[in-house]
Amino acid sequence: MGLSLSRRLPVYLALVAASLLAACGRPPAPPAPEKVVPLSEQAEVVPGPPGQAGALFVTTQPGDINTLNPLISEDGPSTAAISRFMEGLTRLDPESGAIIPNLARAWSISEDGLSYTFDLREGLAWSDGEPFTAADVVFTWEEALYSKEVDAAGQPVVDEKTGRPKLKFPSRPAFFHLVEGEQVRAEALGEYRVRFTLPQRYAPFLLFAGGQDILPRHILKPHVDKGTLLDAWSINTGIKNPRELVGMGAFLLESYRPGERIVFRRNPNYWKRDSAGNRLPYVERIITRIVGDSNASNVAFARGLTDAESIQADNVTWISRAAERFDFDIHDLGPSSSTSFVWFNLQPGNNPEGRPYLPEHKRRWFSDRRFRQAVSYATNRQGIVDGVFAGRASPLHGYVSPKNANWFNPDVRRYPYDLDRARDLLAEAGFVRRGDRLQDSAGNPVEFSLMTNNNSNLRTEMATVFAEDMAALGIRVELQFIDFNTIIRRTSESFDYEACLLGLGGGAPDPYSSKDILMSDGRLHFWSPSQTSPQTKWEARIDELMRQVGRELDETKRRAAFFEVQDILAEEQPMIFLVTANEYVGVRRRWQNVQPKPLGGVFWNFESFWARPE
Amino acid sequence: MLAFLLRRLLTLVPLLLGVTLLAFLLMWLAPGDFLTPMKMQRDIPADLIQQLEADFGLNRPWYVQYGYWLGNVLQLNLGYSWSFKVPVSDLIGSRLFSTFLLSLTSTLFAWVVAIPLGVLAAIYKDSIFDRVSSFLAYAALSIPEFFLALLAVWFAAVTGWFPVGGATSIEYDYLSAGGQFVDRLYHLILPTLVLGIGGVAGLMRVMRANFLDTIRAEYVQTARAKGVPEGVVMFKHVLRNALNPLISAFGFSFSGLLSGALIVEIVMNYPGLGNLIYQALLREDQFVVLASIMLSCVMLVLGNLVADLCLAWSDPRIRLENQE
Repeated sequence: MGLSLSRRLPVYLALVAASLLAACGRPPAPPAPEKVVPLSEQAEVVPGPPGQAGALFVTTQPGDINTLNPLISEDGPSTAAISRFMEGLTRLDPESGAIIPNLARAWSISEDGLSYTFDLREGLAWSDGEPFTAADVVFTWEEALYSKEVDAAGQPVVDEKTGRPKLKFPSRPAFFHLVEGEQVRAEALGEYRVRFTLPQRYAPFLLFAGGQDILPRHILKPHVDKGTLLDAWSINTGIKNPRELVGMGAFLLESYRPGERIVFRRNPNYWKRDSAGNRLPYVERIITRIVGDSNASNVAFARGLTDAESIQADNVTWISRAAERFDFDIHDLGPSSSTSFVWFNLQPGNNPEGRPYLPEHKRRWFSDRRFRQAVSYATNRQGIVDGVFAGRASPLHGYVSPKNANWFNPDVRRYPYDLDRARDLLAEAGFVRRGDRLQDSAGNPVEFSLMTNNNSNLRTEMATVFAEDMAALGIRVELQFIDFNTIIRRTSESFDYEACLLGLGGGAPDPYSSKDILMSDGRLHFWSPSQTSPQTKWEARIDELMRQVGRELDETKRRAAFFEVQDILAEEQPMIFLVTANEYVGVRRRWQNVQPKPLGGVFWNFESFWARPE
Repeated sequence: MLAFLLRRLLTLVPLLLGVTLLAFLLMWLAPGDFLTPMKMQRDIPADLIQQLEADFGLNRPWYVQYGYWLGNVLQLNLGYSWSFKVPVSDLIGSRLFSTFLLSLTSTLFAWVVAIPLGVLAAIYKDSIFDRVSSFLAYAALSIPEFFLALLAVWFAAVTGWFPVGGATSIEYDYLSAGGQFVDRLYHLILPTLVLGIGGVAGLMRVMRANFLDTIRAEYVQTARAKGVPEGVVMFKHVLRNALNPLISAFGFSFSGLLSGALIVEIVMNYPGLGNLIYQALLREDQFVVLASIMLSCVMLVLGNLVADLCLAWSDPRIRLENQE
């Protein structure tokens, strides 16, 4: 070996060793004494046989968190992490979907529907032992969400466009909770009572506001005063100072290593107990490893490395082969709340260059209801279920997935696969078959392009099956698999497209959360968004019904209105619904108290999960 | 010497301007921006998107946005990540160490293995060892890194001998300092091999060729003629002279120290800068992208500078002061 090299080698090795050692921190300091407040009288009692505390729960998560601040969280991983330590006033019953008590034990609504009074559970404590009171709720709404921007003279700044005061911390929840652009007021009526006053009747308020995470005033107030609320609780907090992340959730953040893992520890001050009087949760620690994508995450579970995993429909078959070896069950939760659909561009008018958005004859086809219905009849939904999802999906006939049982209208008009009816409808609308091609009455061959985003295998495969189905009618479909951002621009700005296949996630389980999709002035009214006045009678009727859904407090009347919306959509077929993937969750069998529910999924009672330590 | 250093550092200015301008322009030309995905979410009101557009300056012409960014950079403020809501410098800082460590071990691995192999191949030219090592080197050079990384992940998953991704084990925080050291090393083995193997092959070929060139030089013949022992000739005369071009190669490898591991990090799920930059690119989180591009640019220039300085140090014929 060379002289010079052999002289340098130890230096190199020392360098590596030194940098490695520098990375090895001290073992974590023994946790500072914690303030543990005795269980309140009003603690929630979770029924069922008591379990054994102390187990370790290991999971993986595709993708790293971006933030731990519930006001700015956008992505799935961040939201999942935040939901471990944050809770709202109410939650949803895992079986019926009804709104049930959470941090609030009861509530009442005034006669006029404008004021909501919540009674909080008394004697609860934040994870650091500080008392949880109405002041926290009022802080969350009045200060965290709706602090006003003030100028140098202390005067509120007014937004030029809307004419309303500008928010100091513009956040997604703040805008989300506005009622027709107006703020909801919150005030404390005593230590454990809060009253919300609405500017007008707003039916989804209870659901939406009940789901709002309540923020700890004693921690975040300084950030509000300094104007740094949206920068608070960043990943830096998680890395350097996890104890600042104080919540009412069952767990609290113990440590976070970017790109590697998140560790949660049980909240010693949690406010639920089991039937024997033991404080929940049973799980002592949750270790979540961060992996590259959901496939890597699925693989980790299939190799027995993790305790539970949400499994994609197309991965179920091969993962289930390892079920006996690693001792897990895969729970089939049935249809998910996500939907997939095709729609045609119905945007009227011309683009800025003065040309129509799409050729006149194509607009004529697309705006003919019979054409859309024929396409729907010719769509082989079961073929998509079998061919794309290997049977692990359900055909979708209307706007609402059957999962959302409360709002699902089972009697909408259906379009079972029926080429004869499709051909009849096309003939009625003046289309003629010449050879293997379909032509309209003017002799134009019927063909259109269908775009979908190129980074979703399931969507590109669905589009391919759809195109083959159309070929059976003599319609030629040109497939375009393109970048998602381009699709958004084409469907919402340039309207330079003919048909598009996309999907929607669940969204909040209230029909009013669909108002931007279903109402004609909505930003996401896919086939022709942001209309100044409804183009068609049926769209006008949907607008009217949706306004009713927004204002009517009576559940039965709301449901009737929303059922009619679904009927109109099924009749008119502006969106041709395809399928909804089924949901699968795998859990190791050593976990006890696992009670999957179609609505609540597997983890609705995670605080009751327990296992004998391995 | 000082003038040379200054001149080199000054060339950085137009280079950085050009590179960031190009990156900015490309991001602006790409469809959509950071806020576009929000437009497809039903519970985000249009008002919020408009306000964020104004706050982020996305509604202004690109050159105005670039100007603002440049102004901030001149004040040593690299900006703010839109998706993480933390300063870019913090974000990169938190991931820098892992990437740096991996680059260091893989460079070290490449050099320590390649130089002796190259020397041996040259000394025993045309022997069976030379043939086999050449063959393996060409094979290693022709396998793309990402494929090797995939193979490594598969190997780790099938045998269970190595961890599948990550830089530390779950129990890392509860280990002693020695245990933590070993744990880190254990996680570094596979990524180091994958990242280093291409380097081994390349360096070894260069080393062999240089060594052969130098063996034929006249002063080597002179040394032999005057009776210097063969070992001394080889290591004292030939090796020292043959190493010079490798020092320039070191400069280049320095530039890749932070960015070179990008693909391997993503495939092997190693928590370094690579994943961060990749995600930032996908999401068009502008300032993170720009900062990381600047970082690799600076590293490239610094790497070349260091290589030149090393050359001057190892070869007395080179005088930096006289360079024009």
